[in-house]
Amino acid sequence: MPNAIRSNPTHPVQRALRGALVWYGFVLPPLFLILIFIVYPTAIAFQQSLFTAVPGAGQKFAGTAHFERLLADPVFWGALGNTILLGVAFLVLVIPLATVLASMLNRLRRGATPLKVIYFLPQLTSSVAVAIIFNYVFQPDWGLLNGGLRALGVEQLPLWLADPRYSLTGSRAAATLLAVWAGLGYFILVVLAGLQSIPAELYDAAAIDGASALQSFWYITLPGLRPTFVFLIITGTIDALARFSDLWTLGGPGGSPARSLQSVVMYIFQQGFVGSDFSLAAAAAVVFFLIVLAVTLFAFWGFLRREFSAVR
Amino acid sequence: MVQRLKIVAPPRTRPLPADWRLQAALSAVLWAGAIIMVVPFLWMVTTSLSRKADISMPRTPSLWPPDPSLFNYQIATANLPIVQLYLNSLIVVGATTAGYLLLCSMAGYAFAKGRFPLKAPLFTAFLATLFLPFETRMIPLYLLMGQLHLTNTYAALILPFLAGGFGTFLMRQAIAGIPDELIDAARIDGASELRIFRSIILPLCRPTLATLAILNVIWRWNDVLWPVLVTSDSKLFTVTQGLALEGHSQGTYTGVALATAVLSILPVIVAYLVLQRFVIRSVASSGIKG
Repeated sequence: MPNAIRSNPTHPVQRALRGALVWYGFVLPPLFLILIFIVYPTAIAFQQSLFTAVPGAGQKFAGTAHFERLLADPVFWGALGNTILLGVAFLVLVIPLATVLASMLNRLRRGATPLKVIYFLPQLTSSVAVAIIFNYVFQPDWGLLNGGLRALGVEQLPLWLADPRYSLTGSRAAATLLAVWAGLGYFILVVLAGLQSIPAELYDAAAIDGASALQSFWYITLPGLRPTFVFLIITGTIDALARFSDLWTLGGPGGSPARSLQSVVMYIFQQGFVGSDFSLAAAAAVVFFLIVLAVTLFAFWGFLRREFSAVR
Repeated sequence: MVQRLKIVAPPRTRPLPADWRLQAALSAVLWAGAIIMVVPFLWMVTTSLSRKADISMPRTPSLWPPDPSLFNYQIATANLPIVQLYLNSLIVVGATTAGYLLLCSMAGYAFAKGRFPLKAPLFTAFLATLFLPFETRMIPLYLLMGQLHLTNTYAALILPFLAGGFGTFLMRQAIAGIPDELIDAARIDGASELRIFRSIILPLCRPTLATLAILNVIWRWNDVLWPVLVTSDSKLFTVTQGLALEGHSQGTYTGVALATAVLSILPVIVAYLVLQRFVIRSVASSGIKG
């Protein structure tokens, strides 16, 4: 600490300055790390997407060439299509299922805790481990699922992960079932929290008016869960866009079989890390960023602003 | 507050004619679902205990090993340096969590209670990082680690995750709820900001710190994308990474591969069952997925 400041700490300007210095001491270390490890590499991704590295001659401005290359690549469109399809299928299945199960859990007067613990268990298991387990669960000859179906008398057993076609028993369907199994517990917990925020008086009033259980579910529970659904759809969409670990464990960076399981992040990984085409990877990374940003901003301006102002 | 009110309030009088049939039906359906959640785990453990599973699997799945033995576990531990993997995961998860909690609380304290030039724009900048997905910067970050000669070091696995907008926001919200009078009283007693931070702020934020710690442990433990990018030396592999890269290469030996999977997730499950109250509360209160 400089002597000039310490010698006369009562001078208001110096005191304010010293006060500010202390606060900068709190803020600068994290700010420094954020600048180096978050802001700088993100800026580099944008830079790389607009330039071409020429060996020995530095960087040459490429305009939109890399983006044109990206948008002309059918593999990229395939990866984007997979990501969207898998995300939509997952959310369409998991949200209604979680809502039904959470409503049942909410009505259960005893023994809800062990059930919550069990439903949440797969969420704690890494996506890698889940993918390894389900690789065997979906094994066509002796896997848990087909073995069980055979024991039930099913003759035509599906190929699951070995079948790259768009079908309800193909690789994408298997990857969706896996995701629902793994993610269900989290969705149940969030819906449960939403259910508990609905005032009990509404149900009492409905009962006095002679509403049936189904009617109160339809007219009280579902509208009351609107903020929860909005929250789950937004965070679920962003998570689904960033899907990587389980699909990569199942099918490698190419998302085999036949790229049916390749996601956008796997495409970035494959182009940048495996193929060292940093500019193409960066163009894909920028497009990924823009999609996530669009979803977030749409969600915020469309829905969340109202929910936040309602809370405050 | 809400919790306490619930205890005092009379039991909810939902339009539930309090009959046991409904409760029994609910239990039956929910437990059937719970069994579906658990069966893959049981089947994994069963198969990992069967030596025959490496040669041929029974065509009808069984939940009891026909020939119980620990053979697959001997092979798995001989092939994989499981202790080293755990050590690496503990180092990476421990260091990132400790650093993340410390740095996010520091920034959170300054943004909640401090007065200094550029406070508002800096806080906005911290929050704006929430809009920058890791996947966008991962390849440049990997190249940066190469330029810093940090590839294949613990530092590369730890440094990028020490500070972040989410933790800062969460801590700021928690610290903003601490009354100013408490801090002013300490200041009058001559305590420095650092002392106040250590002896007042951190202890009072324990619930939020626990939430943040649990979420961060889950994120870092399960991460595989970044470790795969930045480490190729198997001496530095984390458990999840080792399972993905090495465990998968034993794919033809079903029993061994599943024994490896059991070894990698069993401690997590045990820790979860011990801490489940806190884990579930953390996720339910923050709404953030582990």
